[in-house]
Amino acid sequence: MTRILVPLAVLKGESVSAGLTALLEPMNVTVLGYHVLPEQTTPDQARLQYEARATDALEDLAAEFGANEGTADYRLVFTHDRKQTFDRIAAETRSKVYAIPGATGPVDRLLVALTGDVAVEQIVSFVAELIGDREIDVTLFLATDDEPAGRGLLETAAAPLADRGIDVRTELAVDEPPLEALLEATVGHDAVVMGERAPSLLTLAFGEDAERVAAESVGPVLVVRNVEEDGSENEG
Amino acid sequence: MDDPPPPEGTNIDGESPRTEPMIETDEATITDDAELERTLGLSGGLAIGIGTMIGAGIFVFPGLAAGRAGPAAAASFAIGAVVALLVALPASELATAMPKSGGGYYFISRGLGTLAGAVVGLSLWFGLVFATAFYLVGFGYYAVDTLAELGVAIGEGLVIPLALLFGAGFIVLNVTGTENAAKLQNGIVALLLSILFVFLAYGGLDAVGLVGEPTAPEQFAPFGTMPILTTAALVFTSYLGFAQVATVAGEMKDPGRNLPLAMVGSVLIVGVLYVATIFVATSAFGSEQLAGFGETAMVEVGRHYLGAAGAFAIVFGGLLATMSSANASVLSTSRAIYAVSKDALLPQGASRINLRYGTPHVALGMAGGPILVLTATGRVELLAEVASFLHLLMYGLLCVALIALRRDEPEWYDPDFRVPGYPVVPVLGALASFALIGFMQPTSQLVGIGIMIVTAGWYVYYARDVELKGSL
Repeated sequence: MTRILVPLAVLKGESVSAGLTALLEPMNVTVLGYHVLPEQTTPDQARLQYEARATDALEDLAAEFGANEGTADYRLVFTHDRKQTFDRIAAETRSKVYAIPGATGPVDRLLVALTGDVAVEQIVSFVAELIGDREIDVTLFLATDDEPAGRGLLETAAAPLADRGIDVRTELAVDEPPLEALLEATVGHDAVVMGERAPSLLTLAFGEDAERVAAESVGPVLVVRNVEEDGSENEG
Repeated sequence: MDDPPPPEGTNIDGESPRTEPMIETDEATITDDAELERTLGLSGGLAIGIGTMIGAGIFVFPGLAAGRAGPAAAASFAIGAVVALLVALPASELATAMPKSGGGYYFISRGLGTLAGAVVGLSLWFGLVFATAFYLVGFGYYAVDTLAELGVAIGEGLVIPLALLFGAGFIVLNVTGTENAAKLQNGIVALLLSILFVFLAYGGLDAVGLVGEPTAPEQFAPFGTMPILTTAALVFTSYLGFAQVATVAGEMKDPGRNLPLAMVGSVLIVGVLYVATIFVATSAFGSEQLAGFGETAMVEVGRHYLGAAGAFAIVFGGLLATMSSANASVLSTSRAIYAVSKDALLPQGASRINLRYGTPHVALGMAGGPILVLTATGRVELLAEVASFLHLLMYGLLCVALIALRRDEPEWYDPDFRVPGYPVVPVLGALASFALIGFMQPTSQLVGIGIMIVTAGWYVYYARDVELKGSL
């Protein structure tokens, strides 16, 4: 089963909404409690002071995701560099997906974004696995400037989901700014699934797309990582 | 990687050293319940080492050193580099065996026991405080010169007030600043190295007579050999930075490779730069004239070779360099205080951090207060020598600790890097460190010895029952 990494700044009071807990409940989950420290502070110093408090919180969170059934665990990391920690833990736990927690109630409708150079098949098979036989509807979203090809891609992607009895809609945005179009499409959806893209200059300037989507849509975002087929890491 | 045996005993407040089993990997330190990410790469380590050292050696000392030893000041810097290298090698071995926060203090307390550890750990705190005050005074001189270059002549009377103002602001920033300045530090060091490279390349060509006008040669060692040695003792402050790399050993990625490279590499790089700088500076002016220019002599050297642009580049470089030295030292100071308080040699409250900023405000205060008091004295040479004294004490003992560990290697001792030329290198390193102390001015020696006695007294009073060495 696919493992999902849920990074949480536990000591800053970050937590997961009931809707996200329920959505991820059938999956394997690793809760990554992290605390980012300024460089004046050794990580060990923060560990001595906050370890117990953070561990308490993480045990409770992992229990909600099903630690007692063996489908969830947690890690606690003190770091100067959030990104480096996420990448390392994701690689070590072989998590193919990570979650950016947001506020949501029960999830009835997922927006799945297939825009850009992302691993469409991986994203679609993850969505199928995530939904299983639950009553969750899906909107497949694509922003492109090549309408016929885009329509073809959406149909190919929708077919396996529809075959499993999932209610699939498709939405195509042609010649629109991709990110803005995606943000508009999130209205009426409880959570977003999207692919991880290679970092570009724009992501350096504005942060990663997924984080911008999470910030603007308020709801949780699940990001399917860009992992090679054989399971080895795509080191950036 | 194994750990030394756990320490035992309690201090007068009933606190005992806080340690637990840790597994060190190349990417993180793993304890029972948590992981500590290693986030510093080789470039980050080099930036700390070079960034700490370059401010003093290039931008503060050339005038003072040339005044004392003439063109032979280049030899003084070379001697300093050799001593630093003799210590950097053993320090690298110990750091790869024990990649923990606290650096020299940790190695000595585990190798030689609590008394030596307490004296070194607390002296390192004061050593860094003296060093930071010295950098801040250097900064003050550059701030005044910057204003002068911009046409605002305010005179040397404002050097200390400016240094104090900046120092206070700087400590407040360290308590409240949560931005990671590490990348900025890397950039500053890269910029400094480029400025220096252009300047030294041009000045060097000029000095050997390929471009510009020939200058009158001066006797190499006009004051004899003794001043070369005393000057080496003075300018050794320019080589303290490699030990700062050891204080962040716990945060270094792939410590077995990066720690030795960062420590030895930064000493080699700055050593070459220092010798070249003195050569270029003493070729531009007679040493008497250089000495007359004082702490900011390099500005005049820059003007001599490259006109107003050269002067401006050096003034700007001097501001950046003294700032980055002060910044790197403050970072090390809070780690040094943390390391001793974790081992119950200071009240453990000293290493508390606040959740709002995540910064160790108590330790930063314990560093900042004394730094400002010492900056107010404005005694550049005394500050530099006491800082060197306290570091040299640690360096000497560090070599002794290496020999002690090697003679009867405990099971946990498994360094990735082993000193070439054992036992000659650590023996020479220890002798040279202690000898250099002997060439300092009597006042500096008295202050240094005074601090040692106070720290030893503190140990007897506060933490006599703490046992850090374990059974070797």
